[in-house]
Amino acid sequence: MENENSKNPTRRKFLKNLSSGSALAVSGLAYFSVTSCKQASDEKTTLLTTDGKLVQVPNSEIADLNHQHLPATPEESRIGIPGKKFVMVVDLAKCKNAKKCIEACDHTHNLTPDRPYIKVLEMQDNEKSSPYWMPKKCFQCDNPPCVKVCPVGATYKRTDGIVLVDNERCIGCRFCMAACPYSARVFNWGKPPGEDESIPYSPETSLPSQIGTVGKCDFCPDMLRNNKLPHCITACPNGVIYFGDEIDDTVTNGEETVRLSTLLKEKAGYRYMEELGTEPRVYYLPPVDRLFPFEETTQENSES
Amino acid sequence: MSKPNIELQKFRTKRGKRLLSHLITTSLQYKLWIAFLLILILLGLIGYYRQLRYGLVVTAMRDYTSWGIYISNFVFFVAISLVGSLFSSILKLNKNLWARPLTRISEIIAVAAIICAAVIIIVDMGRPDRIFYVITHLRIQSPIIWDVIIISTYLVISILLLYISLLPDIALCRDRLTQIPNWKKALYRITAINWHNHPKQIAMLQKVNKILAISVLPVAFAIHTITSWLFATTWRPGWDSTNLGPYFVSGAFMAGAAVIIIAMYFIRKHLKLSKYITLSHFDRMGKLLVLLSLVYLYFNINEYLGPAFKMVGVEGEHITELFVGKYAPMYWFVQLGGLVLPIILLFFKPFRKPLPILIIAIFVVLGAWLKRFLIVIPSLQHPYLPIQGVDESYLHYNPTWEEWAITFSSFAWLLLIITVLIKLFPVIPIKKYKQGSETVFKQNIF
Amino acid sequence: MKSETKLICYFLEVIMAVTFIFGANTISYGQDDLQDAIVTLSFIDNNEAKIIQAKATDQDGSPIEDLELYFYVQRTFSLLPIGDFFNTTDENGIVEIPFPEDLPGAVGGHVKIVVKILESDIYNDLTLETIKNWGIPTPVDQFEEKRSLWAAAANAPITLVISVSGMILVIWFIIGYIIFILYKIGKIKSDVHSQFNEENYFKDVIESF
Repeated sequence: MENENSKNPTRRKFLKNLSSGSALAVSGLAYFSVTSCKQASDEKTTLLTTDGKLVQVPNSEIADLNHQHLPATPEESRIGIPGKKFVMVVDLAKCKNAKKCIEACDHTHNLTPDRPYIKVLEMQDNEKSSPYWMPKKCFQCDNPPCVKVCPVGATYKRTDGIVLVDNERCIGCRFCMAACPYSARVFNWGKPPGEDESIPYSPETSLPSQIGTVGKCDFCPDMLRNNKLPHCITACPNGVIYFGDEIDDTVTNGEETVRLSTLLKEKAGYRYMEELGTEPRVYYLPPVDRLFPFEETTQENSES
Repeated sequence: MSKPNIELQKFRTKRGKRLLSHLITTSLQYKLWIAFLLILILLGLIGYYRQLRYGLVVTAMRDYTSWGIYISNFVFFVAISLVGSLFSSILKLNKNLWARPLTRISEIIAVAAIICAAVIIIVDMGRPDRIFYVITHLRIQSPIIWDVIIISTYLVISILLLYISLLPDIALCRDRLTQIPNWKKALYRITAINWHNHPKQIAMLQKVNKILAISVLPVAFAIHTITSWLFATTWRPGWDSTNLGPYFVSGAFMAGAAVIIIAMYFIRKHLKLSKYITLSHFDRMGKLLVLLSLVYLYFNINEYLGPAFKMVGVEGEHITELFVGKYAPMYWFVQLGGLVLPIILLFFKPFRKPLPILIIAIFVVLGAWLKRFLIVIPSLQHPYLPIQGVDESYLHYNPTWEEWAITFSSFAWLLLIITVLIKLFPVIPIKKYKQGSETVFKQNIF
Repeated sequence: MKSETKLICYFLEVIMAVTFIFGANTISYGQDDLQDAIVTLSFIDNNEAKIIQAKATDQDGSPIEDLELYFYVQRTFSLLPIGDFFNTTDENGIVEIPFPEDLPGAVGGHVKIVVKILESDIYNDLTLETIKNWGIPTPVDQFEEKRSLWAAAANAPITLVISVSGMILVIWFIIGYIIFILYKIGKIKSDVHSQFNEENYFKDVIESF
């Protein structure tokens, strides 16, 4: 008995020393790795994004919760963000129907799969050309048929180009849905499930959704007010969607920033059904010079 | 007071007895009819309660077919309501004296139809609790606001039209009917506004009649044209047509004429008014129906020939579906059974007898209702962008029992209002004519 | 025995600790060596072109050659790269890039020009920002809502407002007039003219209309 006890202290002490020494070494290593960073101030925090990815974000970009503003009230949201006119460009050559934009948008706006704001459609211009995937959201038209027909002004066009819906004024007549030639709007036929009724309603977040009212892609104005890109752009793994300001003449897809006019000129940007005269604010780049052939979504390659 | 007894009521003439006795007696038939209508209304209320509680999800409308039979029913009711102007304005101004007995029925139907149209459109709203926003937050640029304005205007004008022609007859009821309950006596007294056949009153009434007869016509044309603009201002195949205004208005007159024929038949039968609604009336109504149907046929041909010739994109798909596709049986029933066949049959006099023409008119009205269904729903199933990735049920529209219950109860409301108005007021105008008029009604005064 | 083990363990520890510490030092050895570079910007605006000139010197003042500088203009969501793909300093440490003539700026034409040293092996990262009014000024009036069919209720097209109001006024005036006449009809008192008798009734025939 006594022998064991006398042996154990030694082993225990050895292990203790080993572990403390390793801890010292590891912390020393960690200290050096931290201090040898290129810039002094880039402390990073690990965060979970809306689509479940773990990313490292510099602390300087995380806003203090206490300083965050509530999203705009319905009256405030009728006035656009000053000095901007937002525009979107979708590169059809890159879209692979990954549906990450749909997931991010559905998650942010608390949508069920039967009322998505973004739809990715399989289009084929004629029999001989190749099919392609076309992400379609509200085009935020400059000559919007939906705004023209709303009897109570529940949907309105702002000076920054965005068309929003005020669900506290909508009477549910669905004339805007009949008038939109692009089928961009969805309706809350029943009570939207899982809505947090305690938060104040804001047309800029389109939350909380209300029964008997209409909804559509809103270009995420709550993000835009903080100079952040809408969720679909950051969620896209293939860099399909470019977003920016027409006044700036610049669009970005999160990684690449280009001049809008150059992009549209060089890649022959067009607007869907331009002849209808609605003047959409979303441009498409034709699916040419594709790096991969068109693939139907099958069980294997479906990522949802 | 004692129970009204028809035996005690003194009528001076047979005419008076014929036209006024139904105001006093209440037959069992009448009570059964009212009970039937109330049952339908009750079913509709149950359906509407469910709709208020769970939202419009209880209907079959979904994101693509976002308008359904409520809207097509609305268009149908607005169409029917034009018949008031047909008789009180067009035929009257053209001195069609044979149509005089039918003006009261047509005005009653017009008022009832426009009330039901307003009600059904509120039923279709997703947020009926916000109905007053169309007044407080209205946007004058919206076709729906134009429709709201014109429907309220037409409702007021139709009520005025009915009332103006009814005024001397109410005074008559007030003066002559004794065996009626006190509340009815009070009703007649108040609504007769002190009418006592004073020459000044008669002159003023004439003036008002003339003004109304002229002003109701543009309003009637406007109401159905503006309703057609709810569709013509959108980009949907079948709706994006310059022809839609005249197409709707001509269809409205035709459907209204057929409704009058049905009403004529049943009123004649149940109130025993064969001397006043004669075979000649059925004959002439048949001819009028042929004329109106020919105009409607002309606009129909115009509406479908252009798109069918070109077969452009979704417009082509829509035409295909109507002509040979999913909706072909309904489409050809409507066009042939509800339009072409009646025209052909009504050319022949034997078909213009009461019973045959009743059956033909029923087909015409059924065809008219289904035609509005075909105007509203198939166009919504062919948007420019393909319908993908949605539930199978989005591609078809099969109205649920709640929608049918509400629709049938709206018809019940229409019939209920008509029945009550007929019960309260004389349904054939008791008026006089100058000597030498075409149809000689005895210058009997009651 | 115990003390021997103890001693061996102690030495093992020390060796491990020292190895670790030296190893960590070795790994980060190169990074410690980064210098700070100094970049001065000058902006040349002659009538033909606007040029940004950057001069890179190290801490002693001697020019740095072959250093890649990245030029950007700050835009709403990101930095727009300007210049060539690689903007490398020449032997004098100078690199010049033209500023685009047609780049829009804020209301006064102001743009924020950003120059960076990024991921260089020798020098620390550096960011310089300057605001110049070299952009094309943005006109202000395009942000006011004009009268149109899609504007708010208060900005409806004038023709529409006038014509609809006109029509409503006309028809409701007629309706009002009719109701007024009905009221007047009700006011007419009963007198000898209206006593019911066959003669009067035939005389004052209500015209068929």
